[in-house]
Amino acid sequence: MEKTFLSFNPSRRQVLQGVAAAGIAAGLPFAARADSKGRIVVGTSGGDYQHLVDQFIVDGVLKPAGWDVVDAVANDLDRRNKMIAEARLPRGTTDVQGLSALAWFQMGQAGVLAEIDYSRLKNAANLLPSMKYPYGVGSGYTAAVGLYNPKLIEAPKSYKEILDPKHGDKLGLIDIQYQYVMTAASLAMGGTVHDVEPGKALLLELRKAGVRIYPTNEAFAQGLKTEECSLGIMWKARAVQWKDAGINVAGAVPSEGALKFVLGWSVPKNAPNADGAYAFLDAMLEKPAQEGFATKLGYPPTVTNAEIAPELNERMGFSKEQLAALVDLDYAYLSENDIALRDWWNKSFKG
Amino acid sequence: MAVATTITASGTDEGRNVTRLSASALMGPATAIVALGLLIPILILFRYSLNQYSARGLMIDAVTAENYVKFFVDPYYRTVLYTTVRVAFICTVACLVLGFPLAYVLARTRSRFKNLMIMLIVLPMFVNNAVRAAGWMTLFGSKGMINTGLMSFGIITQPIEMMYTETAVIIGLVAINLPVMVLTLQSVIEGIDHSLEEAALSLGAGPWIMFRRVLWPMALPGILAGTILTFILAVNAYATPVLLGGPKFMMMAPLVYEQFQLNNWPFGAAVAFVLMATTLILTAITNFWMQRRYRR
Repeated sequence: MEKTFLSFNPSRRQVLQGVAAAGIAAGLPFAARADSKGRIVVGTSGGDYQHLVDQFIVDGVLKPAGWDVVDAVANDLDRRNKMIAEARLPRGTTDVQGLSALAWFQMGQAGVLAEIDYSRLKNAANLLPSMKYPYGVGSGYTAAVGLYNPKLIEAPKSYKEILDPKHGDKLGLIDIQYQYVMTAASLAMGGTVHDVEPGKALLLELRKAGVRIYPTNEAFAQGLKTEECSLGIMWKARAVQWKDAGINVAGAVPSEGALKFVLGWSVPKNAPNADGAYAFLDAMLEKPAQEGFATKLGYPPTVTNAEIAPELNERMGFSKEQLAALVDLDYAYLSENDIALRDWWNKSFKG
Repeated sequence: MAVATTITASGTDEGRNVTRLSASALMGPATAIVALGLLIPILILFRYSLNQYSARGLMIDAVTAENYVKFFVDPYYRTVLYTTVRVAFICTVACLVLGFPLAYVLARTRSRFKNLMIMLIVLPMFVNNAVRAAGWMTLFGSKGMINTGLMSFGIITQPIEMMYTETAVIIGLVAINLPVMVLTLQSVIEGIDHSLEEAALSLGAGPWIMFRRVLWPMALPGILAGTILTFILAVNAYATPVLLGGPKFMMMAPLVYEQFQLNNWPFGAAVAFVLMATTLILTAITNFWMQRRYRR
């Protein structure tokens, strides 16, 4: 009789062997190598950034040092919510998480993140003091600059010139960047990062003038490409990437001091492998990793020993004076008032 | 004989009991999965909706209705709920109006291409909602196909603003939900004896009277199922309102997402519950009203 899948009649021994094999196969992904220092679970948003993490941090430093690295890829919101949900557990599921500086502050304040012990990082000595945050280590930064189409408009010199009602519907702002836009409007009106109230009147004038609000950075890029809008506020690093993609844009650093956007890594309070987490943070601060990220992403390095070629420095577009003049957000103020700011943005500015 | 009858009856009862037991055993695992996988998270979410938000602690244990009060007192949130129900209603009506003739043709056709036609209707469901919305974006943009076409023919001189409008959202949602409506209606119309329609027409009823008095009441179970499904899908839509509606247009599902993005779980959970309750109440009312109205 021909043996088919349906006529397959295994013996008891075969069934037991199959079950044992399946059990071993299921356990393989979780088993660390005998010579491994341990497993580090890294939370990132995936995409190109993930590839760079793998290339410069995991393959470049951690694997040769004997660490096993597992990626926990999900978008920023999913990862934050998962960390909040796990916060009450004695052991979480990730060791390091890639987040922005504002998220560090909010999550750190809520008791979800561990305070960084910089004495455990051998590369901390090279880290720029401005990149040492209590709940996160800066791995790269950029700044919110004026992004404009040089064919259609002269370079704006300040946030005040960017957020000018005379631009009407040629000015594009991005919905998800409301904290930065409101702070920039405050600076444009002579205010500070500690209070966005002075900027609200200016934003309402822009609304009357017909300002365009785009849902995402990519939608704004599309608006610039089709010349639906001719200027707005955007990360300098994106200007570099979009120019490479063929969009006619240039970035202008505002005279008020460009608002800094910091990305980096934090450690959940209940990270199962804190030693692994610190090994990752140290690897991220290694000179080759920092130089690799700067080259590929257009983010200035956060360590002093990284060497950046003059042409790359020019491409990143910040002079030493401009870098020194970058303005950090008041994370405590934004965190405390985030819901109220979003409410105002939704109801009074967009509504 | 009497003994035999008793034995048979007793045997039948036992048989029924065994059948019931087997049915319960078969239903048990699925029921347990639904109960654990659906009800427990819903109960947890409901508990969260009674908590308080704090910027420092994110969520503080409490038993308060303040999140629900905030939703119903604030005109902004009431408007979002009203917009959601209005858009879902328009979308459902549009799907019914467009879908019924299509479903009727599909049900009655004897064409050898019938299966192909059904496949063409189902085909859009193979594509993810966000991808379909991206397709609409290339059509609706200021330099999209529609505006470029109209401008090249000299019909308009300035592009029409189609992106980030309620109309764009309705068009996008109708395109997504139409196959659901058509397939539901088609299966029910196929079950209606065509000779009943012919009888009505041969007895002097015009097409409209035949539709109103014969086809519509008999297709009612399908209409009810199709409208409820379409309404539920539209009222809970996320990707289409976000991508085609833009930042100034807000529906309930994106509002839930936004609250979780702001780390405000208690209010986000309350909004999710308002959305769930609205969907259930409106569905129940529609079901009750239509069954009562057309009961014969």
